[in-house]
Amino acid sequence: MSGERILVLTVPDWPAVAAAAEHGIGPGRPVAVLHGGRVIAANAPARAAGVAVGDNKRAVGFRCPEAQVVVWDEDADNRHFCAGVGALEDLVARFTLLSPGRLAIPLDSLRHGYRDESSAVEALVSALVTETGWEFFPGIADTVFAAVLASGQARRVEPGRTVDFLADQPITTLEYAGAEATELIDVFLQLGLRTLGDLARLEARDVNSRFGAVGRHVHALASGVAGRPLADHVRAESLEVELDLDTPTTRSDTLGFLARQLGAELLTKVRRQGLVCTQITIELDAAAGQCSSRTWRIEDMQENAIADRLRWQAEGWLAGAAVAAHAGAGPKPGPRRGGEDPHLLDLVDEPAPDVEDFSADGIIALRLIAAELTTPIGATRSLFEENTGQITHTLERLQGLFGPDSVLVPGLQGGWDPAETNLWTPWQQTAVPERSPAAPWPGALHAPRPTTVEHSAVDVFAADGSPVEARPSGLGAAPATIRFPTGETEAITDYSGSWPIESRWWDPDRVVYRTRLQVVTDSGRALLLSRERGQWYLTGRYR
Amino acid sequence: MDVMSAAPVVEQLSREMGISTATALFDRIPPHPVEPVLSPLFRRGGLPRGELVTVTGELSLSCALATIAAATREQKWSAGIGLGEPAVSSIADLGVDLDHFVNLATPGEDWLRVASILIESFDIVLVDPGFLPSPSERARLLAKVRERRMSLISLRPLTGSTEQIEITHTRWSGAERGRGRLQSCLVRARSQTGSHRFLLPGPTGTPAAVPAGTSDATTTLAAPGSTAAPAATSEPASAADSADPRWTTITHLRQVIGSVR
Repeated sequence: MSGERILVLTVPDWPAVAAAAEHGIGPGRPVAVLHGGRVIAANAPARAAGVAVGDNKRAVGFRCPEAQVVVWDEDADNRHFCAGVGALEDLVARFTLLSPGRLAIPLDSLRHGYRDESSAVEALVSALVTETGWEFFPGIADTVFAAVLASGQARRVEPGRTVDFLADQPITTLEYAGAEATELIDVFLQLGLRTLGDLARLEARDVNSRFGAVGRHVHALASGVAGRPLADHVRAESLEVELDLDTPTTRSDTLGFLARQLGAELLTKVRRQGLVCTQITIELDAAAGQCSSRTWRIEDMQENAIADRLRWQAEGWLAGAAVAAHAGAGPKPGPRRGGEDPHLLDLVDEPAPDVEDFSADGIIALRLIAAELTTPIGATRSLFEENTGQITHTLERLQGLFGPDSVLVPGLQGGWDPAETNLWTPWQQTAVPERSPAAPWPGALHAPRPTTVEHSAVDVFAADGSPVEARPSGLGAAPATIRFPTGETEAITDYSGSWPIESRWWDPDRVVYRTRLQVVTDSGRALLLSRERGQWYLTGRYR
Repeated sequence: MDVMSAAPVVEQLSREMGISTATALFDRIPPHPVEPVLSPLFRRGGLPRGELVTVTGELSLSCALATIAAATREQKWSAGIGLGEPAVSSIADLGVDLDHFVNLATPGEDWLRVASILIESFDIVLVDPGFLPSPSERARLLAKVRERRMSLISLRPLTGSTEQIEITHTRWSGAERGRGRLQSCLVRARSQTGSHRFLLPGPTGTPAAVPAGTSDATTTLAAPGSTAAPAATSEPASAADSADPRWTTITHLRQVIGSVR
């Protein structure tokens, strides 16, 4: 039997425990919690005196006059349980809160080093009891529902025996599956289904046709079919470390040295949680107030690797800022990228550093944030991947020689033209698509698509030498020659129909009118052109 | 047969590329797989390892990317140097596994250095050289390629290549002088195995066989006997395996070794 083993820990009579804590009632005194005029929970002393779940207030007063009767307070239930969750965060890597007083832990997330399941659970429970002072009932089974039932009896279901265990449970245990399932209990009893096994023996199809989605769900629970995996509890504590420098620095060796210490500190913190960090966000603050933030994926996360990334990021950032400062406040250097809306252009590029020169001031603060955490098993590389370690080593070496942005891995994002769908991300950085590829992109270019992306303004002339205009209805004249920025001209032997893109017509600032055209020149070259704001651009080349 | 008689053959073979031990003769390095449409272009039906291949002419980048596609899908890592900004959508269209492709945006004058670093761990390197290497640099590069048994593809003619694929003619169809859009391109390529016709890119973006009935009217290169077959049409190969002088030597040596055993 493969699959996940689930440990469920239940604090018995949780509402009574929480109410006692809320009202400062000492242990050993009987407490009963009322909801809707009925007792929903009572602690052990009250139960010993004869108080049962479902009694009304008068019956409680009759059977146990000294019992404190408290009205149920859902907030208090949750609030007090959170304190215990804090203790658990230090002990287990992954867990899920099912309800106040009940939580599920995938057994494989318990720290290794225990002989078997039972001793691991024993160690965890005794640590939790010491930490919180509550009593925990553990239950282990192959599905969450079965583990919940098992925790009510504080028992461990052998691997693979979950179906047999469930078959013996009375049908009334479905109340643990939620309010909708509880409503079905009476119906099932009238149908003569006394145990979960009776229910599981029915055809799933029949249960589904009679009771719908709830019936199907309940049938799956009774048959021991694992539901969807539980979402892990999100840690309250974020793993990050910060270092403020006394004096701003631009020296990358100083930064590298500091980063190594800071990285070691972060990794120690991560390891103490029993976790592995696979992605790290590096944030640098400049003295003038700018901030650079990049997320890096590092296969073999070590402080030296972190220091390298931080150094690259700082060098690239400071160098970029210095270039921008020299270029002055004029237009951006380099040719304007053809075929793109200027507003779109801003989205495509990384946020440009401010033009003012802050490289003299340098970096004043470093911050490392663990951006992605997994369990040690989740971080292990697949056996089917060949020599990724060597590949990583080679590419890191190249990044060290030519800068992090010289090694790019491909990705796709949404857009109409290849220039927009291109998403080249530096190796080991997280790709951040600007536009969703899933969204509809009416008028997007279909295969065959150009193999290289170009950005240059070109002129297209008709046979009589006049420039070719583009209108929504089509081209003004048949294109005959094309002139490249180098001054070289080529005759056009064939051309496609022109097709326009009009988008964001609802927003006058971001509206895009673009006409595209494919041409084949007499040298056999095929090109993709686009016209925007009265100018033709060469946007792609079929190479 | 006397063992001594093998000596001149061995000496001749040791100068051949990629054969350093006797076992290399028998356990030949299998080539990287390529798309069925492109496999007739190669002497051994796939992208040879430990050798330099040149792909030149119009659409050479598409042809080279289509060549590496099948290998990247088998987890082979490939890298491109000096390609400018390739369009990811077309790389994916040509069938390349994006998870195993890396593009190097390094200065053109550093291509030799970058290539020699990449050769150490990559299975395929695709390069558009920024300059031609000197004979000694080229010899060192090729020695490294041989030793690592990886495939180096150059988009420009380089001396020392064992297979040369040259796209001699392209004919785009579908544009219809303003009435349609580019659909596919009929290319004619010349390689060691003869002359071939296929669609690159085909209607779906991947290389495809020439559909039956497509005439090659615009080109005068068409051999009179060329017929449109479902697979890439290949004219009679001038340099088939049996005709290669290397193979006669190898066959001879196999006999020699066989007789010694």
